[in-house]
Amino acid sequence: MSTDPVLAVDDVAVHFAARGGLLAPKGPPVRAVDGVTLAIAPGETLGLVGESGCGKSTLSNAVVGLVKPTRGSIKVAGQEVVGADPDALRAIRRNVQMIFQDPALSLNPRMTIGESVGEPLRVRGIASGAALRERVATLLTSVGLRPEHAARYPHQFSGGQRQRVVIARALGLEPALVVCDEPVSALDVSVRAQILNLLVDLQRRMGVAYLFVSHDLAVVRHICDRVAVMYLGRLVEVAPRDTLFGAPKHPYTLALMSAVPEPDPVRQRTRQRIVLQGDLPSPSRVPTGCAFHTRCPRATALCAQERPALTPRDDGALVACHHA
Amino acid sequence: MTDALLRVEDLGVTIGGAPVVDGVSFAMRKGEVLALVGESGCGKSLTALALLRLLPPAARLAGGRVLLDGTDLAALPDRAMRRLRGQALSIIFQEPTASLDPLTTVGSQVMEAWRAHNAGGAAQARRAARDMLDAVGIPDAEKRLDQYPFELSGGMCQRIMIAIALICGPSLLVADEPTTALDVTIQAQILDLMRRLVAERGAGVLIITHDMGVVADIADRVAVMYAGRIVEVAPVTDLFAAPRHPYTAMLLASVPRLDVVPKAVLATIEGSVPAPEAFGSGCRFAGRCPLAVARCTAETPPLNEVAPGRLAACWRSAEASTLLSGAAA
Repeated sequence: MSTDPVLAVDDVAVHFAARGGLLAPKGPPVRAVDGVTLAIAPGETLGLVGESGCGKSTLSNAVVGLVKPTRGSIKVAGQEVVGADPDALRAIRRNVQMIFQDPALSLNPRMTIGESVGEPLRVRGIASGAALRERVATLLTSVGLRPEHAARYPHQFSGGQRQRVVIARALGLEPALVVCDEPVSALDVSVRAQILNLLVDLQRRMGVAYLFVSHDLAVVRHICDRVAVMYLGRLVEVAPRDTLFGAPKHPYTLALMSAVPEPDPVRQRTRQRIVLQGDLPSPSRVPTGCAFHTRCPRATALCAQERPALTPRDDGALVACHHA
Repeated sequence: MTDALLRVEDLGVTIGGAPVVDGVSFAMRKGEVLALVGESGCGKSLTALALLRLLPPAARLAGGRVLLDGTDLAALPDRAMRRLRGQALSIIFQEPTASLDPLTTVGSQVMEAWRAHNAGGAAQARRAARDMLDAVGIPDAEKRLDQYPFELSGGMCQRIMIAIALICGPSLLVADEPTTALDVTIQAQILDLMRRLVAERGAGVLIITHDMGVVADIADRVAVMYAGRIVEVAPVTDLFAAPRHPYTAMLLASVPRLDVVPKAVLATIEGSVPAPEAFGSGCRFAGRCPLAVARCTAETPPLNEVAPGRLAACWRSAEASTLLSGAAA
């Protein structure tokens, strides 16, 4: 792509020091994110998928500067997030906003919807008074709410409507990138579809890019242009959407897809499934070599010794596996 | 259904006078997996809790019968009901780590369930607990007995919950969103386990879920709830192939699919579920239904047999499956 990326993550690692007790020895650090490199183009949606504890939320928090990486570089619209001072971070955040899973926890219950949506514009001195009210009304309309909703409080809305408010607030500064951390996981199926359609529609109109963090592969397949699969702090596969879902390559990607039950009883009961044995290892004791080798049906002696690098394949996929 | 294991008749639950579960009736056979499906607030969890007489203080049982092997659970004295819980029927919940006592070893929690209904010493209880842990696929059962819940993963904790629920051989297991808090690879393990245990032990399972994928995977029959009422009951393949209630059809159409190349726009159900205080007359889905006609708001459609083994509560049931394509949404 000729345009500069809105997000460039280069070899980022986030390690958390394990707490030692008075008498207990200090344990090894938790390697939540361990050497991730990825980029997002303007207007693109990159899905980041993986199971709990794979580091996807830690990575997205690092992108907006909520977590400090142990090493590496994160650039939002060309500006370095890692090591930025508070003033610089404030300037960067105009370009990167965040939407969390639970809209009820993202809104101050004692502020009206209008105050919440208007706050980013007010604190940055972008608008005030009548101009601010007008801007808030426009934002509420653009997410499918009505201007008169501005005077109401969060408890007067349903979960889906609250998530619309959160989206309106995130888009008020016209950011280049919105980090969406499980934005529809707390919503019911019928409402989830409304919010996904809204995100797609807003992207078309405003050209915003999304880093879409989710454990739900079906939702990711619906909304993303490219998908990155994460396991124990590392990317194991990155590919354009149709390549990833049409020809998945990494054994973990295959197992993850095969574990998602399809809403079709005939197919679901006849298809060949890969049921992984065991649990995710602790990120403080990441296995040597390929982190997945302890659960991988294709693992060999090589996998326990040597960590496979992300290497490009003919169809444009990047895969980190010795045998795929 | 003549060989019914469970027969629920006209069950009602109210919260502050609002009918949050309203005239719910269904039946289950031995060894059958029935899924109770619906979105938040539809009354599916309250229905499950009402069966076990575990309703929260704010909720009241407002009539109906719950016949388990012919005994009406709704009319039993509290002491008799306590004897049945764990033995004749048991329940597992969504969050296994919240269901287990964090200060007690998992072994003593499994043993407690066994000793509540069996006369036997500590050694016998421990043996029963170890065998049960083996049966639910926990490796190193002997060692795990002495561990605390925090030492186990979420998937392992849910296996412990299943062990506690099944150790006294109940004829009915109620599972309220048993895999919702788990990752998909672990969910697949737990669903496999439940399927195997049902087949081995012949227990009936009432699984409460909002996930149509889970329904397609494990259920024999499905009951769909909307705003406190059952709107459709059908064998699982029939329900997915040709739903007979507009809500079922639109719910299926709005689920993003992993196995289908995505369309640009997902089908949606406009609006949201009415609040229990705002339930009007007639069909409660009428306000969101593209097929609604004047009769729908005037008259509540009864849950009638629309085909052999299939029930639907809709005046225009025959046309419902046209909404499956999402075209009308």
